[in-house]
Amino acid sequence: MNTVFPYPVLTGDITLEVTAVKLDGRPLPLSMISRDHKVVALHEVERSRWDEARLDLRVVLPEKELADGPWDDVACLAALTEASTNARATARLRRSDAGWWSGSLVFHRDAHLTRASLTVAVAATVDGESGRLVGMAEESWIVELDERIPARKQELNIHETDFRNGSETWLQTFQDAPWVVETTGDMPTVHLNTGFEGLVDFLNGGGAPVERAVRGMLAAQIAAEAWTAMFNAAVGDLECDDEGRPQWPTGWRDGVLRSMLPDVLPDLSISDALMEVHLRLTEGGWQELQPRIQYAAARRAKTPKNIANGLRAMSRDVETER
Amino acid sequence: MVEATDQRQDFGDWLERQLRLRRMTQSALAEALEVTPAAVSAWTTGRAEPREDRKRAIAAALGVEEEAVLRRAAQVLPPSALNWHHRPAHRDGGREFGNAAAFAFDADLAVLAREATQNSLDEQFDPKRPVRVRYTLEELSGEHLRAFLDALQWDEIRPHFEASATDRHKVGRVIAEGLREMTESDSLLLLRVDDYNCTGLTGPDYGDDSKFAAVLRDQLNSHKGRSTAGGSYGLGKITLWATSRLGLVLVNSTLSGAHEGRTSRRLYGRLELPWHSKGGEDFAGLAGFGETDTEPGREGTARSWWADETTTRSLRLEREGRDPGTSFLIVGAHDAAGDAQTLQEMHEKLVRALADNFWAAMTSGRDSRPVLEASVTTLRNGNVVIPEQRVDPAVHQPARTRALSAYLNGEAVEQRTDTTQVAVAYVPLRVPPEKGAPRKESAEHNAVLLVTAADDNDREPNRLVCMRGNRMTVMTRRVTDLPLGTDAFQAVLLAGRATGSDAPEAHAAEQFLRTSEPPEHNDWTKTEDLVTSYVRGARQRIEDFRKDMLVAVRVLVGRRERVKTGGPAVLRELLRIDAHTTGARRPDRYPVVRHVEGSVDARGAWNVRVEVKLPRRTDPWSMTPTARFEVRSGSRPAISWAKLIAGENCRVEQGVLHFEAGATSASFEGVTEVSSHPVTGRMARVVVDLQKGR
Repeated sequence: MNTVFPYPVLTGDITLEVTAVKLDGRPLPLSMISRDHKVVALHEVERSRWDEARLDLRVVLPEKELADGPWDDVACLAALTEASTNARATARLRRSDAGWWSGSLVFHRDAHLTRASLTVAVAATVDGESGRLVGMAEESWIVELDERIPARKQELNIHETDFRNGSETWLQTFQDAPWVVETTGDMPTVHLNTGFEGLVDFLNGGGAPVERAVRGMLAAQIAAEAWTAMFNAAVGDLECDDEGRPQWPTGWRDGVLRSMLPDVLPDLSISDALMEVHLRLTEGGWQELQPRIQYAAARRAKTPKNIANGLRAMSRDVETER
Repeated sequence: MVEATDQRQDFGDWLERQLRLRRMTQSALAEALEVTPAAVSAWTTGRAEPREDRKRAIAAALGVEEEAVLRRAAQVLPPSALNWHHRPAHRDGGREFGNAAAFAFDADLAVLAREATQNSLDEQFDPKRPVRVRYTLEELSGEHLRAFLDALQWDEIRPHFEASATDRHKVGRVIAEGLREMTESDSLLLLRVDDYNCTGLTGPDYGDDSKFAAVLRDQLNSHKGRSTAGGSYGLGKITLWATSRLGLVLVNSTLSGAHEGRTSRRLYGRLELPWHSKGGEDFAGLAGFGETDTEPGREGTARSWWADETTTRSLRLEREGRDPGTSFLIVGAHDAAGDAQTLQEMHEKLVRALADNFWAAMTSGRDSRPVLEASVTTLRNGNVVIPEQRVDPAVHQPARTRALSAYLNGEAVEQRTDTTQVAVAYVPLRVPPEKGAPRKESAEHNAVLLVTAADDNDREPNRLVCMRGNRMTVMTRRVTDLPLGTDAFQAVLLAGRATGSDAPEAHAAEQFLRTSEPPEHNDWTKTEDLVTSYVRGARQRIEDFRKDMLVAVRVLVGRRERVKTGGPAVLRELLRIDAHTTGARRPDRYPVVRHVEGSVDARGAWNVRVEVKLPRRTDPWSMTPTARFEVRSGSRPAISWAKLIAGENCRVEQGVLHFEAGATSASFEGVTEVSSHPVTGRMARVVVDLQKGR
C-alpha cells in the first residue's frame, strides 16, 4: 500500500450485495442479478424504456471493529457513479437490528450511458472531524444498463456479417477483406466477413489436427491485429491533466493498456510506461516502439504457440503422406 | 382410579399370571376357594368373571391386597427381583462374533442420531403434536459411577465382558478398549435418547404384534405403525448397540396403550456380546436384564419389568412427565468415526447431525407446529456442562429452512426478484397403475420444487434435496450442467405426502416412490419391487421424474435465455481483456513502493517513512519520489517535498533518490512542503510513488 491516511481507518471487510432491483416500481427477475460476478443487468426486452431504477442493498460492516474503534457517528453510504457521464447517485443506508445495513439507491436512466459502478463508503467522526472516509467496500458492483446477462464483460465483440450487404454500410468498402477491427465505441469489434468464402465456417469448424492447427494460426493473426489496433487506439485517445500528464482511461482501454504496457516497456512502472508511450507519440520515438507493440500483441494472441503448433502439424502431415 | 380401570388387564390373564408366579395350580386355588376347578378355568380363560365377594376371597387365597385384585395391574418389582439372563450357546456349536446388522452401519454418532430419530418420527403418537427427541450425554465417575453400576448388577455381567474382551475379533477389541478406558479413567459415558409423544414399546414381551418384541427381541424386524415409514426399526435400532462400546443398552418406555394394566416405567436391558466361554460354560452372547420369566417354555429368559421410581432413577432412566415414548440409555457410548472425542465435540456432532438430517421435520409454517423438536444436553455426574440446546434448523440449514417455510406459509413465488425469496415450480410424476389394481390410468402427482439462494458460506451449494413421507431426506443430488455464473442456490423437492397434500394422487406417488427405493432408502431408482408391483413402463416413469426435476431446477435458477456468445470460440479466447484477473504476475523490473507510514506534524506537513522494493541488478537506480493528495476523480494534485532524508541503501541528490546497486530494499523519509498543499494536510490522504528519475 502506498497510501497513508491522517487518521485511523477500518481494516475489516466491507461487503456489499444487491438483493433486489425494481425498474419503475416493477421487480426485476433475480436472474438478472449475479452475486457471483457482482453485476446487475438492467436491460429487459419487455421493458426497454424505463425512467427510474431502484437497487435494494445490503452491506455488512466489521461491526465489532467499529464498536471498539475511535469512530463516532458512523454512516454507511452507497454511491453509483459512471465515469463517462460523471453521474453520481447516493443513498444513506440504515443499520438493521440483524446487524447489517440496508437501504435503496434510486437513479435515473437519462443520467447514465452504459455502465455504472456501485460502491459503499463508510464515513465517521474521527478526532473530532466529522464525515471522514474510514472504509470502502472491497469490491464494487457493476450495473450494466444495456446488458441482459449479468456478467463481467471481458471479451471483444465478434460480429459475423456479410460486408457486401450488411446493415453497416461502411463495411462495403472492405468487401474483399476477410476481417476488419473497429476500435471506436464502447467495446472494440472484430467484424468477420461472411461474404469471404469459407472464412467463418472454417473458424467455427472442427476437423483434423492439421485443420485445427491452421485455424489456430489464422485466429492468432486476427487477434494480433486486433490487439495492435486496440493498443494504438487506447494510446491515441489518452487525455492529459493540467500538468500534461496522461490520465488512465476507463473501460476496455484501461484493460488493454494495463495488460500490454508491461510487455511494451518492461523496465518501467505502469504509470511511467503510460507517460513514456504518451511522450513517444507526441514528442517522437513512436516508430521505435512498434516492434515492442507487435511483440506485446503477439503474446496476447498466443502467436508463437499457434505458429509452432501449425508448423508441427503440417510437417507431421507431410510425413504421414509419404 | 378411573385411569386404572381403563388400563386394567383382563381378569383371566391377570389371574393366570398370578397363579404362575406363585407356582400354584388352578385346582389348588379351586380347593382354597371351595369351587370347582372348572369355575377357575372359566375365569382364567375369560369365559366368566367372579363376583366381587369372590374376588376378595381370591385376594386372600393369593395373599395380595383386595385393591390389587380390583386394579389387576402387574406388580411393580423391587430391584431384588431382577436378574441378568444369558442365552446359552447354540446347540449346533455355531458361534457369533458380532451382530451382522451392526456391521451394516458405521458406529458413528451422526448415523445414530439419524436412525434413532427417524424411528421416533415413524412412531409419532398424536399427529397434532410434535415428536420431541432429547439427546443427553452424561459422564459418570466416582460415586455416581459406582451407584449406577450397582443398580446394573455390574458384578454379575463383568465376568462376561472379561471373557468377551479378546483381540481375536473386532467386537472383542472394542469391548476390551471400553473396559480399559472405564478402569483407567474411572468414568463411563452414557448417551440417552428420549422420545416423547411416540407410541412407546407396546405389546407383549414376545410375539408378532408387539413393538417391544420388535425392538428388543428380534433382529431385522421392521414393525412400524404407518405405511409412510422409511428406514426400518430392524436395521436402524442396531445403531444404538453399535454406539455402545460394551454392547449394552437399557430401555424405559412409557406406553401409549396399557400392557398388563400399566403404562409407565416398562424397563428392560439388552446386552449384545459375542460368543464367549465362562467357567466352562459357553454363551451365545445375548443377555437380558429383567424379571425371570416363569411362563412355560420361556424359563431362563428375562422379561421386561415394571419398575419403581427409585430403581428407574438409579439406572438413570427416569423420564419427564407421562407423555408416551421411549428412553434408550447407551452405556459406554463412543463415536467410532473418531472425529468427536471430547464431550463438547460429541455434543456438537449430535446437534449438527440432527439439524442436517431433520431440518425439514423441524421446520414449520407460521401457524403450524413442526413435526419434530430436538435438543441436546450434556451433563457430568448430573451437573449441567452444556445446557439443553434446542436444535434450530435455521442456524444450520438457513437456505433450505427458508425454502420450506416459505412454501408452508404460501409465500413462494414463481420468479424470484429478491435474494431472500423462494421460487416454486411443480414437477409432474405420472404414477403408473399397480398390477391387478382397479385403477387402470396413471395418476398425475405434482411434486413441489423449491429454489432459493444459498447462504454465503455454504460449502455445498447447488444441491437438490429430495424428500417424501414425513419430510425425510431420501437423497441429495448435485445439480450440474448449470450456465456459467449461476449464483449458488439450494433446492428442495417435496414428493408424495411431503407436499402436505392428502389427495389420492399424493398417496399413490408416495407408495410408488417408496417402492422405488432400495433397502437403504437413499435413492429413487428401478428396483425389483417396482417391476413386480407396477405395470410396464414404471422404470421409465422414475427415470423421467429424475430427469424432469433437474430440468426444473435449471429453469428456476438459470438466466432466462442464453444470448448467443458471438464469434468462433478459437478467436474469442484470444481476445479476452482480463489483465486484472488472470495471468501469472511477473516480478516487477523497476523499484516499487512497498510500504508507507506517516502522520501530519504540528506545522501541518506530512512526515512519511517509505520502504522501497528493488529488483536485483548491477547498476544503481535513480528515481524521483512523488507525493500526491488522493482525490475522488480527476488527477491527483502533486505536493512538493520540503525535505528528503535518505535511509537504508540510498542517498538523496537534488530531489532524486539514488539506490545502491545490488540492494533489494531501501528506505527514505520525506517531509512535505506545507505551502504546496492544496488543502490542509490532515484533511487528505497521501499517495507516495516513484517515478523514473529525470
